[in-house]
Amino acid sequence: MRLLQKFKNKGKSSQYKGTSNYAYLAARVRAMKSKLVPKETYPRLMNMGISEITRFIQETEYKREIDELARTYSGVDLIEHGLNRNLAETFTKLIKISEGEPNYLITEYLRNYDVWNIKTLLRGKYYNASADEIKEAFVSAGQLSYTFLSELAGKQSYSEVISVLEGTVYYPILKEYDETNLSDIENRLDKMYYTGLFNVIGESKSKDRKLFAKFIRTEIDIKNLKTLFRLKKAGVSQDEIIDLIIDGGLELSINNIQKLLPLSYDDFIQALDQYSFWDSISDAVNSDTDSLINVETQLIKHSLKSASSFSHVYPLSIVPIMDYIISKRNEVNNLRIITRGKAANLSDEIIKNQLVI
Amino acid sequence: MAVEGAVLMDPAGLKAIGAGLAVGLTGIASGIAEKDIGSAAIGAMAENEALFGKGLILTVIPETIVIFGLVVALLIK
Repeated sequence: MRLLQKFKNKGKSSQYKGTSNYAYLAARVRAMKSKLVPKETYPRLMNMGISEITRFIQETEYKREIDELARTYSGVDLIEHGLNRNLAETFTKLIKISEGEPNYLITEYLRNYDVWNIKTLLRGKYYNASADEIKEAFVSAGQLSYTFLSELAGKQSYSEVISVLEGTVYYPILKEYDETNLSDIENRLDKMYYTGLFNVIGESKSKDRKLFAKFIRTEIDIKNLKTLFRLKKAGVSQDEIIDLIIDGGLELSINNIQKLLPLSYDDFIQALDQYSFWDSISDAVNSDTDSLINVETQLIKHSLKSASSFSHVYPLSIVPIMDYIISKRNEVNNLRIITRGKAANLSDEIIKNQLVI
Repeated sequence: MAVEGAVLMDPAGLKAIGAGLAVGLTGIASGIAEKDIGSAAIGAMAENEALFGKGLILTVIPETIVIFGLVVALLIK
C-alpha cells in the first residue's frame, strides 16, 4: 500500500528530504519506550532518599547526563538538570533519526520548547535573573540550540534579545513586548504555536497528517479543560477565560466551550458528562473538592492512555512517536515531582497524588 | 504454420522461462517483504542490541517465499 502511495506521489515534488521510513522509526521508538521507567518503580522510588534516587536514575537512561553534570551540581539540582538535558537530547535524537514527513511533523511539534525557552528568556530578563540562572531553565529540545540560547541569555536587556530574534516567526509578536504585557505575549506565543501546527496539518490530507491532527486536537482539548477547570474554580469572568482558550479542540470546539462558559462550576461539571473523557475524570470531579490536582492528573492519564491505545491501532505512523514524546515527558515530570517533593519534605501522600502513573 | 509455431515455442525454453520467472518474481516479493522488517529490526537493534537474534530471524522469514519459488522452479525442470 505504502509502495503504491510512493509511486503515486512520485510526480509531485516533495518539500521534505528523504522517505519516511516508518518501520525503522516506529520500531526504534518503541524500543526506546520500553526503556522508560516502568510504573512499578515509582512506589520504590518513593521510599528512597535523594541520593538513592540519583543512584537509581544513574543506572538507567540518564547515566550519561548525570555523570556529566555531577561535577557542577549536586542533590536535587543534579537530578533536575540531568532530566532536562536528557529530555532535550532524546527529543533532538528523534529529529535526527527521522526523515521525510515524520521529521517535519516532529520538528513542528517540538517547537513548543522554543516557545518555552523564549518565555524563559523574557521572564528571566523581566526579573533581572543572571545569565546562568536563565541558562539553567532552558530545555533545548527545539530548533533553537543551547549555544544560541546561552548567547541570548548573556544579553543585557530584553530589547537586545528580541532584536537578535528578528527574522524568526516569533518576532512579530515579540516586538510588541514592552515589559508590561508579559502574560499577554506569552499567551500569544502559545496560540501562535498551535496556529502554526494547524497550518502544517492543513497543507496536505495524507493519513499521517490526519492522525497528527487528531492527536494535537486532543491535546488542545486537555489544555482547554485544564484552563476551564482552574478558572471556573477561581470564579474568573467569561471574557477573561475566552482569551485564554485555544481554538481547534477535537471535542471541545470553541462553540462548545462558549456554551460551557456561562455555567456555574457545578453545572459546568454536569455538562461535561457527554464527552468521551468524562469516564476518566468522573471519579475525581465533584464540586466539594478543594484541589484540582486529581482532576488534572486524571486528564493527563487519559491523554497518555488514549495516545498509547491509538498507537496500537496505527502501528506504522506518526502516532507511536507522539506517544513516546508524551510518555517521556511524563516520566521526566514524575521523576521531578518525586525529587522536588522529597527535597521539600512533602508527605508521601501528597507526592503520590501528583504523580501520573 | 504449425511447424513454425513449434519451432518458436520450444518446450524446454518455455520451461526455463517459467523457472526463471518463479525464482525472479518470488525473489522480488521477498525483497519487498523483508525491506520493512529489516529496517524495523535495525531500528530496534540500535536501541537494544539483545534483539539481534530475534531481528535476524524475523527478517529472514519472508525468505520462505523465494524458497517456494525455487522449489517450483526445480519441479518445472
